[in-house]
Amino acid sequence: MRTKTLWLWLALLVTSLALVAAGCGGDDDEAGGTGATTAEGGAEAAEQVITVNWTTEPPSLDPGLASDTTSANILFNIMDPLVKLDDDLNPIPSAAESFETSEDGKTVTFVLRDDLKWTNGDPVTAQDFEWSWKRTVSPELAADYAYQFSPIVGADDYNACDPKKDDCAALRDKMGVKAVDDKTLEVTLNNPTPWFLQQAAHHSFLAVNRKAVEQFGDKWTEAANIVTNGPFQLENWQHNANIDLVKWDEWRGAADVKLTRVNGRMITDGLTAVQAFEAGEIDVLNGGLPTDEMSRLKELPEYEQYTGLGTYYYGFNIKNIPDVKQRKAMSLAVDRRSLIDNVFQADQLPAAGMTPEGMPGFDVINPESPWAPESADMEQAKQLMSEVANPKTNITLYVNDSPGHREAAVAVQAQWKELGIESTIKQQEFQQYLEFLGPPPNDDVDVYRLGWIGDFVDAINFLELWTCDSGNNSTTFCSEEYDAKIEEARTTVDNDARFELYGEAEEILFGEDGDLPIIPIYFYTYNNLERESVKETFNLNLLDQVDLTKVVVTE
Amino acid sequence: MLKFIVRRIFWTIPVLLVVIFLTFIMMRQIEGNPFRQTERNVPESIQRNLERKFHLDRPWFVQYLYYVKGVATFDLGPSLVIRGRDVNDIVKEHFPKSVELGIYAFLFAIVVGVPLGMLAALRHNTAVDYGAMFFSNVFHAVPSFLVATLLIYFVALEAGALPTSGWTTWQSKILPSIALGFAPMALFARLVRGSMLETLQQDYVRTARAKGLRYRRVVGLHVLRNSLIPVITAAGPLLGFIITGSFVIELIFNIPGIGQYYVTAVSSRDYSVVMGLTVLLASIVIFANLLVDILYGILDPRTRDART
Repeated sequence: MRTKTLWLWLALLVTSLALVAAGCGGDDDEAGGTGATTAEGGAEAAEQVITVNWTTEPPSLDPGLASDTTSANILFNIMDPLVKLDDDLNPIPSAAESFETSEDGKTVTFVLRDDLKWTNGDPVTAQDFEWSWKRTVSPELAADYAYQFSPIVGADDYNACDPKKDDCAALRDKMGVKAVDDKTLEVTLNNPTPWFLQQAAHHSFLAVNRKAVEQFGDKWTEAANIVTNGPFQLENWQHNANIDLVKWDEWRGAADVKLTRVNGRMITDGLTAVQAFEAGEIDVLNGGLPTDEMSRLKELPEYEQYTGLGTYYYGFNIKNIPDVKQRKAMSLAVDRRSLIDNVFQADQLPAAGMTPEGMPGFDVINPESPWAPESADMEQAKQLMSEVANPKTNITLYVNDSPGHREAAVAVQAQWKELGIESTIKQQEFQQYLEFLGPPPNDDVDVYRLGWIGDFVDAINFLELWTCDSGNNSTTFCSEEYDAKIEEARTTVDNDARFELYGEAEEILFGEDGDLPIIPIYFYTYNNLERESVKETFNLNLLDQVDLTKVVVTE
Repeated sequence: MLKFIVRRIFWTIPVLLVVIFLTFIMMRQIEGNPFRQTERNVPESIQRNLERKFHLDRPWFVQYLYYVKGVATFDLGPSLVIRGRDVNDIVKEHFPKSVELGIYAFLFAIVVGVPLGMLAALRHNTAVDYGAMFFSNVFHAVPSFLVATLLIYFVALEAGALPTSGWTTWQSKILPSIALGFAPMALFARLVRGSMLETLQQDYVRTARAKGLRYRRVVGLHVLRNSLIPVITAAGPLLGFIITGSFVIELIFNIPGIGQYYVTAVSSRDYSVVMGLTVLLASIVIFANLLVDILYGILDPRTRDART
């Protein structure tokens, strides 16, 4: 009798659950209908308000301290840079109405516009820039991005100064940035630096408001304290929850800015973000799409993809795998196409070199390495492998434990197995991993995975990685010839000539007789979901930045 | 009783010192560099500047003493990774949200779990009992992230009745509270049922019934009160853990609580945040246990006499 009632209860429970589920399912169409905004034609919507998921809290809105793309994205929309990059990544005037490089390439002069002001009413002056740059370089601020200022005379010396031992004030005065008058900023460089203007478009070169910084110290970036000078104002910043921008009507270009408000969310979990998007709570998911869902999301009309300035690669510890033939064979055996389609799933671009697609001069620079085909060339790989005198057939492949890397490593492991190479995959937590890679790398590392995201638009940013004393070269690769090419490029102002040099450097790495210190795998893409009402105008550049002044919400 | 409470409060000091010491040592033992958060290596002079700024260039015992002094003056220091924010700011801004979530979840667990357990015990071995226990066993076993995902899917996405995430309006607070409260609710239901069944067998219950007390009064006054002891034993530490943040629930519902700071601070080697939040968590668990001991005394005077 008792078991009977139990079963009865169970049956009831299951039926009611099913009913509830079915009931909820019935509302499907209705809920979906309210969420999606239809885009027809380009008529401007009455309400120019969007909600964007930035995926993380911006770690800092201090231009000196920010070191990530989320912070940069907010900063570039609340501040006014001297120069910015146009669609072709050339520097164009912004807060500076003009800029000029001297004959010898060592002096750059910026002339500021007349109509610049801070949100507190003060004018923006050349002195603001001088003070801000020196502040970022100062040892007291201890900024990560102080090295961006290295090309400037005396910047490295000032940054390396020890306040307890040295006379920092004197070093500070020697730094080659000077406000000649309120409108003119003169920058002296150590050497002609071809990409200095590109670099000056980086967020660490933004000016900060001295009054606000001195009054509020560390807390000057909070919404209540911050003073800005860009198209939007920081209205509200609840850490880890919301960051809301409103249009600043007194900005010099306000007449052309359509958006009146940009609500920012910081949903870290990809699935939660997609759910919020599908429920109509968010208009743009700026990155952070979950890999598991990619195949479905890619089919949505709201899906949008951009080329990114980044390269994903496997590095060799050359000390452990000294035979270049083995390195070439291992690179040939990697099936980039199948990895991208089946593991990474974000339509990344197969890489046959270090410098990513989209970089100025890419066509000249790209070595189109014969050793990095899109689909694996097993035949040639096996052939090469058989020629290796002392092949290392037991290798350890290190990856960090973020999602996707292990899955990719397992696929590569299977591809290498065909060459007779047994690989053991070891996974480490990111911080531990970075320590382990050095440089110099731990002896146990034979192959490791890493990526590189550029922070300014010149291939030097990618190619200087493989110089002998680079702090990011864990391959132990060291070639005088390569270093000489990079050194020469550093002072070659002419773009075409410099791109040639970059191309020759890439050839040393990946050409027919290349050394293959790394296996390039793919170039990054950025993947967004954008409501069709803003899809036209919400666009990311190569550096993952969106210019909100250009966004228009259509009906 | 007062003496007992005062003594317990003083005991928390050495416990906290041990907690700080162990966390401090452990954090320094694991490899990693709080100033390097990406592939990009930090140039030497910048690393030196950072270490100087945050006193990491001092010997470890000096750093430890600094820290203990900081804790004693309620100053948990600046975050090493989230520049410009102090651990105090982080606690002040995010801890209340975790507490709020924890309290709602806890209330949900008590309000639903205790009556459910009582019902099961009073209708022992009936369909009601089986139903309630089946229900609570399932939810005790199902992890909260699954409950959360199902709730979001059915209630927020399919029905569109509530927001999918966030912690702003009261509507947005319903799903996370329920998702976090389900497992403790199931636990409470089982605990109450078990201890109530036992209490119902006691002689004094039979005596009370025999001398003509009404059933309702016997259950309400004598049985329930004595059955709550195991619930309270479990509730103290549980409350402590619940309000110090449920990382998973906070992540899924995108709640700006303290939980995610704890996890990200460990992985980014943000020493001061890890230390600060560990001290906080430890204090709360200690406090919750203290509360439990006091409640024991109120519910069962024998325990009070034995210890004072």
